[in-house]
Amino acid sequence: MTAQFLPDRRGFLAMAGGLAAVTLAGTANAAPKRGGKLIYGRYADSQFLDPVLNDNNVDIWVMNSIYDTLLFPTADGTGVQAGLATKWAFTDAGKTLTLTLRAGVKFSDGSPMTAGDVKWSLDRARDPKAGAWNDLIGSIDAVNVAGADSVVLKLKTPDPTILAALATFNTGIMPQKLFEAAAGATPDDKAKAFGEKPVGTGPFMMVEWKRNQVMRLARNPHYWRQGEDGKPLPYLDELEFQIIPDDSTRILKLKAGELHGSEFIPLARVKELQGDKNLRMELWPSTKVTYLSFMVKPKLTNGTDNPLANLKVRQALNYAVNKDGVIAITTLGLGKPMRSFMSSTTPLFDGPAPLYKYDLAKAKALLKEAGFEKGFEVSCMTVAGNQDNLNNLTTVQQMWAAIGVNLKIEPMDNPSLTKRYRAEDFQMRTAAWTNDISDPGQITNYFAYGPTIHALHSGYNDDKLNALYLASQQETDPAKRKAQFKEIQKIYNDAATIVPLYETPYTVAWRKNVTGFVQIPLGNNYFQATSIGA
Amino acid sequence: MNRGTWLLGRLAQIVPTFVMIGVAVFVLARLLPGDQVSAMLGERASDDTIARMQAQLGLDRSVFVQLLDFLAAAVRGNFGDSMSLRLPVLQVIAERLPVTLALMAIAVVLALSIALPLAFVAALNANRWPDMLIRTIFQIGLSSPVFYIGLLLLTVFAAGLRWFPVGGYGDDWGEHLYHLFLPGLTLSFSFAAVVMRNLRAGILAVLTAEYVDFARAKGLSAGVVLGRHVLRNALIATVTLVGLHVGALLGGAVITETVFAVPGVGRLMIDSILARDYPVIQALTLVLAILVSLAFLLTDLVQMWLDPRVGR
Repeated sequence: MTAQFLPDRRGFLAMAGGLAAVTLAGTANAAPKRGGKLIYGRYADSQFLDPVLNDNNVDIWVMNSIYDTLLFPTADGTGVQAGLATKWAFTDAGKTLTLTLRAGVKFSDGSPMTAGDVKWSLDRARDPKAGAWNDLIGSIDAVNVAGADSVVLKLKTPDPTILAALATFNTGIMPQKLFEAAAGATPDDKAKAFGEKPVGTGPFMMVEWKRNQVMRLARNPHYWRQGEDGKPLPYLDELEFQIIPDDSTRILKLKAGELHGSEFIPLARVKELQGDKNLRMELWPSTKVTYLSFMVKPKLTNGTDNPLANLKVRQALNYAVNKDGVIAITTLGLGKPMRSFMSSTTPLFDGPAPLYKYDLAKAKALLKEAGFEKGFEVSCMTVAGNQDNLNNLTTVQQMWAAIGVNLKIEPMDNPSLTKRYRAEDFQMRTAAWTNDISDPGQITNYFAYGPTIHALHSGYNDDKLNALYLASQQETDPAKRKAQFKEIQKIYNDAATIVPLYETPYTVAWRKNVTGFVQIPLGNNYFQATSIGA
Repeated sequence: MNRGTWLLGRLAQIVPTFVMIGVAVFVLARLLPGDQVSAMLGERASDDTIARMQAQLGLDRSVFVQLLDFLAAAVRGNFGDSMSLRLPVLQVIAERLPVTLALMAIAVVLALSIALPLAFVAALNANRWPDMLIRTIFQIGLSSPVFYIGLLLLTVFAAGLRWFPVGGYGDDWGEHLYHLFLPGLTLSFSFAAVVMRNLRAGILAVLTAEYVDFARAKGLSAGVVLGRHVLRNALIATVTLVGLHVGALLGGAVITETVFAVPGVGRLMIDSILARDYPVIQALTLVLAILVSLAFLLTDLVQMWLDPRVGR
């Protein structure tokens, strides 16, 4: 976490308290007030509240209110702590993981959570035919029930990411009996029916869901965690998500007091809301990185030569971008320069200095060395209507004009962009990324490791980096793994296959009397310790 | 040709229209670049996952087979499940359509209540200051973007004066009406402007007609002349305009519903197009086409009532 992104002191205390359930005894704050209904404005509704079969952040970021995982991420997003499992231990050279389950945990319908539910949930989550996330726990060979309060995971190989994976949404524990009793003939139909009114062990339970309008959750009377007052969490009686896609309307509603809080405040409006005496603006450290990505194959799909295949050209383009300028223009100073391709909140991040500090002379010299001193034209596809992307591109366009490079902007809608991206039919594209798991493995797999998706479909492939990545996925010695990721980041950052632009925080605004909300760097929203004061 | 035959003829025209719209919308949805599964799974899904999902949704079959399936199922009233919401399409549309219909009804009522009296005032004071003022105001209404008017009304009447809620839809019919007033007003502006200008011109034209002079010469009161002779005849062209404007109102509803967070079919359409949710796009377009066709039919019927020459 960096000072720049720190929420104010109350926010920070809430963050520590909310996740780790640390008592704030000794601070001036009284125990949070209980009861009430909190109304939170979301920009889009969830689609499918199934831990395994969902696809989007609109589901992922709220599912932890309904489902618990065996382990929880820590508030800073870099470690794990006890969740539905209270203890865990590796044996057999890291190939066996024994988890002790918390006693007395109940689902929100009052039925007890059993070791059988845990086995069933993990088996479902790791089924290679189910959903998009099963590879996050692909190392599991078998899940065995070992008594009423213990589950043993047999791993194919030692897996340094398995603990982080057990704190990730797709391993949420579901009630096997209720799922199987859900309407429908096939497991997919049952998942649809169950996902309409999901039941988990989390702090809240679903009461009503009117799609694209409102989702109403109520406190789970059986929730196992204790609040600061020694009574069970959550503090709120009800949690209501109102779906308000338009940013301006959401902010107006918050200002009018019709909402207690709102997510995704546009960066351009943060300063204004910081100055509103009725509101508190929270900036949560995130794993979000915004960048431009290059195609590095020598030929484009239309058969023309691609200057971006030349390392010196890519480095020159990087040096020619004044990131501080971009940050000032697009994020109004709320972003910060990237020091590695992964965010500074990612575990094992290694970034000694901001990447490719602005140096026009160096950029010109590199282009000359590469034989492109007269410049060239390059095109970048971007999602139409996204103002931030457009700001970034027009700023970079002007900066590159200084070295004779003509940036052509190609706006299109997102499905079209995704299609061309997958087909590797592009020269550049605008993009942003947030991690789904507290581990550097996922982002490295997508950005840098060649075999999976050709490193962001760029065609970049470095044998040494690939070997390091594969080794890192089985390396259980933390020091060695750290060294591997240090080297991976060095190799990839030096290859300049992206233009790293900035890291930005999650922006959440609250009425002044609401405290205790937490958003972790992965994006998950935690409402269990949220309360509405006087 | 009597009126019954005429009506049957009009109805018969609607059926092939629907079939053509059905085929067209199916083809158009698939001409959109980018496929539904990529849109749904985002950039992180593996090729395997995408292939599996495409098979699951039947998107791996030939487009022709998919089209036949779609038409056969549509005839039986089965439009399948929404790919992104994972709910039956008809259920999704049935939940949202009444919201948009209510919004449009409010907009039409508001637009007519604004436009009718003002059109009379403007026409009877043609080219004098009341006429100029009314036309200027409506010119602004006509040329302002819907989202801007919406945000302006929200800022002043909802966030500022607190007379109305800032967006949303509420839980019962009373709340629905309360929540839909501002979006309805927003939607009504450009519509009212069009109706007012058209009706004003119509009234001016009718006022100079010989039968109006005749009615006056008969000694009929000014109210009867205006109501029975002028309004009725001036309305004929306006009614056609109102009918034709239903499509434009639906277009405006898309933006209005987004700004005001109203969960209607306008927003559903945008969401579905962005998600390449083919079943919803197809069914919703058909439903809206039926709606517009019915509006046209209704227009014809009203015209027939206003102008007995129609349908003879």
